[in-house]
Amino acid sequence: MLKIENDIWEKIRDGDSLAFEQLYDGFAGAMFSLSLEILGDRWEAEEVIQDIFAVLWRKPEAYSPKKGKFSSWLLVLTRNRSIDRYRSRKRRLDRGETDEILQSRPDQANKDGAEKATASDEREHLNRAFSNLPPEQRKIIELSYFKGMNQQEIAEKLNLSLGTVKSRTRLGIEKLRNSLSTLRL
Amino acid sequence: METLKQKALDYTLGILPKDESLLFEAMLEENDEARHSLTEAQEDCARIGLSAQPKSLGKEVKQRILENCQPSLNFDPFLESKPIQNLRTTFSRTTDRYNGGGGCVTLRNINDARLQDEINRLYNDLINLSPLVAGDSDAAAGDMASLHSMLKGIPSFSQSIDSLLTNPISKDKEGDGAQSVYRSLLSSMPSLSFFSDRLNGKSYSMGDVRRLFYLCRDQLKIMRASFDDIDPNRLVEDEKLRLHSAGLLQTKWWGAEHAYFSAQGKVRCGHFFDGPVTERCVEFAEYDANMYCLANLLSPRSSNGEFHMELIKDAVPNCILAIARAETTKGRHDELDQIVNGIKSKSTSLQNDHILWELIEESMLRAHQHSTLSELKNASLFGCHRLENSSYLWFAWPAIENSQGGAVA
Repeated sequence: MLKIENDIWEKIRDGDSLAFEQLYDGFAGAMFSLSLEILGDRWEAEEVIQDIFAVLWRKPEAYSPKKGKFSSWLLVLTRNRSIDRYRSRKRRLDRGETDEILQSRPDQANKDGAEKATASDEREHLNRAFSNLPPEQRKIIELSYFKGMNQQEIAEKLNLSLGTVKSRTRLGIEKLRNSLSTLRL
Repeated sequence: METLKQKALDYTLGILPKDESLLFEAMLEENDEARHSLTEAQEDCARIGLSAQPKSLGKEVKQRILENCQPSLNFDPFLESKPIQNLRTTFSRTTDRYNGGGGCVTLRNINDARLQDEINRLYNDLINLSPLVAGDSDAAAGDMASLHSMLKGIPSFSQSIDSLLTNPISKDKEGDGAQSVYRSLLSSMPSLSFFSDRLNGKSYSMGDVRRLFYLCRDQLKIMRASFDDIDPNRLVEDEKLRLHSAGLLQTKWWGAEHAYFSAQGKVRCGHFFDGPVTERCVEFAEYDANMYCLANLLSPRSSNGEFHMELIKDAVPNCILAIARAETTKGRHDELDQIVNGIKSKSTSLQNDHILWELIEESMLRAHQHSTLSELKNASLFGCHRLENSSYLWFAWPAIENSQGGAVA
């Protein structure tokens, strides 16, 4: 489901609408799931995906192979655009920092049957790896990745030194990388 | 090396300070290790992204997205047409840009008490409905129980409009209030009532829930911009300076289904432009109402059930053109032409259509700070035009001075 052929971006750049559709079929679901997890709002997450695909079609040069793998770039772009919206909404509502989104971040062990059926082995492998991180590392990665907090903000929120936040982030990500080295994007 | 990896990670997560980001980008051009670190960081982050719980997208999202691949709409013949050429030579920016709020009256000054009550009730029903169709609602996740229960517990919006429009609202009796009532009942409300009826029935899609959410949001803003005492606390927020981008309109109209009472149409959008259209919510509400009026006039007259929307900036300096286009028969176009020129027939069936155009006229008088309609018409600031087999309805809105790039609502 998540594998994107390497040349799909080149085809899209050359105006191949079938390649564009293939990209949507193969990857929009993962992008949407990520955006929805960050934003907690289906319509906003749809808008993020809609905007990214519009940019891809109209300005495919926004991506360049120099920027790494196309699939990774797409997910990072989805994450960053969703975080931008999340921050913008937070500013608009002028509300205090809460853990609502994180608290609602679903426990992967409690998925219902239908969702279990659609989850791939790779995703389960990934979720297991994430769940197996020490809680202090997982928390920091979640705050950084899904809430867009910078390390200084995380340090203040968790009452830790900046150095501790940096080292826990790096250690957590290295552990994930080692656990997931077989997972191909 | 560790510092480089940290920088690559921070850059990927968007938390590297701007000056350091620029340095890092420069480094990427010539440093293999920096590029390798970035690739590694992106892959790490992408993998974390895949831990999100899988959720499926509706079919209509794919349809909307694949519309990107259709050939661009060509508005060049219209932009070269006589009315627009005329507008290019006559348009001049006013000193103080109008930024909305001019069409507002006080609801309690409406003479008809039943009208007052019904407008208040509609507003409160919509306030209650809005969270039930929001992106974080049960309905957005496919559980319609709360939404159905709410819709079954209130009078249907379509019946309410029908009942309120049975007798014309007299301008002599209500003054400017008549315009505010009509703006509240005839711009986004007919489409809203269509989708709420559909969702209250058996055959609906997730796309209908999304559409109803946008319509609720727009309708509430239009009502607040029409009646200053209907929800004063929220109106204070609507009056704050906050740029609204063309992208907001594009997102909402792109691939949408539109309905004006029983007449349905499919919208195709142009690519609009990047940048702000209005400065405050109250201005956006007025602009939005005008767009709905264009759609309501054109949609039922389209020969193929489709109509196109486009926002174009800079084709006329200092102006943003809102254009609606549809293929029409000659007879349907002539009908539009008569409405735009204020030629009223004995038939009452077009009464509401005349009101829709009058709402645009009133708004244009405020936006361009003209005192008479003939001045507006001479300046080609809005109108109806036919090219080949298509009808074009448009209005020009003063652009925001020195507005560059995107904007947020």
